[in-house]
Amino acid sequence: MNSSPIIAVTGLHRGENPQPGSAVIRSLRRVYPELRIIGLVYDSLESGLFSEEDAPDAAFTMSYPGAGVEAFWQRLDAILEIERFDVLIPCLDAEMGPLVDSPEKLRERGIHVCLPTAASFQCRDKSKLSELCERTHCRTPQTIAVNDVNSLHQAAATLGGNVFVKGRFYEAKRALTPAAREAAYWHMIEQWGAPVLVQENVEGEEYNVIGLGDGRGHILGSCSMRKMLLTASGKGFGGMVVRDPQLDAIAQSLIAELRWNGPFELEFVKPDGPRGEYCLIEINPRFPAWCDFPSTLNCNLPAAALELALGWQPREPLRRPSPGKFFIRHAIDMTGDIRDLAALTTTGQLIRQAHEPIAQPAFAHNA
Amino acid sequence: MKLAPPAQIRHNGHAHEARLAVPPAELATFDFHTVTWQADGFGFDATTGEFFTASPTALIVMQSLSEKLNRQQILERITSTFEVARSTAERDLESFLAELTHLGLTKEVN
Repeated sequence: MNSSPIIAVTGLHRGENPQPGSAVIRSLRRVYPELRIIGLVYDSLESGLFSEEDAPDAAFTMSYPGAGVEAFWQRLDAILEIERFDVLIPCLDAEMGPLVDSPEKLRERGIHVCLPTAASFQCRDKSKLSELCERTHCRTPQTIAVNDVNSLHQAAATLGGNVFVKGRFYEAKRALTPAAREAAYWHMIEQWGAPVLVQENVEGEEYNVIGLGDGRGHILGSCSMRKMLLTASGKGFGGMVVRDPQLDAIAQSLIAELRWNGPFELEFVKPDGPRGEYCLIEINPRFPAWCDFPSTLNCNLPAAALELALGWQPREPLRRPSPGKFFIRHAIDMTGDIRDLAALTTTGQLIRQAHEPIAQPAFAHNA
Repeated sequence: MKLAPPAQIRHNGHAHEARLAVPPAELATFDFHTVTWQADGFGFDATTGEFFTASPTALIVMQSLSEKLNRQQILERITSTFEVARSTAERDLESFLAELTHLGLTKEVN
């Protein structure tokens, strides 16, 4: 291990559907400002590379998940030859499977992680959610996995027609007509592969719980929020902290059943009205893009995950954010330089240089 | 006078239609159902993250209900606070209580 650990983070694009990596970096630097962080990216235009505040110290391009697991490990080895990192915080759904399935490959390479076991990971799979919810007495929309168009339409008919068509790892499209369902089906197949999930549409307010499991059934820290603003694709663009004992109890029961280790996000919908019950939509096996928000309220889950991965004593206790605190996402423009783009595109790596100081015009003029 | 439902967010100032006869007794923060109401009529539900505004009269009714006052006592409080005919206040109170019952925020008030 390096004398001061080097951390690798993925998922640095904060575009229309923001990935969590930049928020993880920001949170880590709140507690450990001197930490060396490298970004593992799939595209040289991942926006986090060009951020003044959240950019990694260096970045390396990865092979696309579609290239297969072997290519993934080969590329990781090639990167380790250049820069040996000690901790990996994966932030994309498609990466999780290969990592969770091969803890020994990570150990061999001296890479520390904070990940669930393969069994826990499988139990929260979208296609297995109803079994998990049955065991924990939690409501969940009926979901049917399909592998062909005929089964897609049959499933939609079984679920009343008003359904969501969801990708295996990511994305969901609401589809009311057969044509919309088919279009969504082929899109999901192309993007994420089979099976595609057809899920009953439950309408209501959306609530998310972010947290960190200790692998023994306990939640080390968490923050619950109601989505206040939604993008056209249904992503939360703003959220209000809530504290509902009922929601806490459901989250605790799910994490205890899974004996979840590492970061998670639970997504719920609660139908309107006094009798509406929380309905679990999915469990994301990683930090969500809003993970830096609780960090501003003394609930720094990425820093706690790092400490857990390294076996360090927590630097500070995780506090429970107070209801009434909220976040609003704010999109801004990043300035890039063609030389950075060239480095990443041609060599697959980018080592950030200190920026040249810009003379203050007023000062220069007076001089 | 028209009592605003508690879940209505108002930005146009119409919430203050009733004129105050006497300054209201200082309203401390109080809880009604799951919502914590401030004296300025802003309410926040910590369990759902929703927030609301209410008119001064609606606020007085909800505070009275939280203090377990009965219908007559609430009416007394409204008419002593606002310049409003008792019959008007009575009619609006009925309508507001019915709305609260419909929303599941209160049971029948004696």
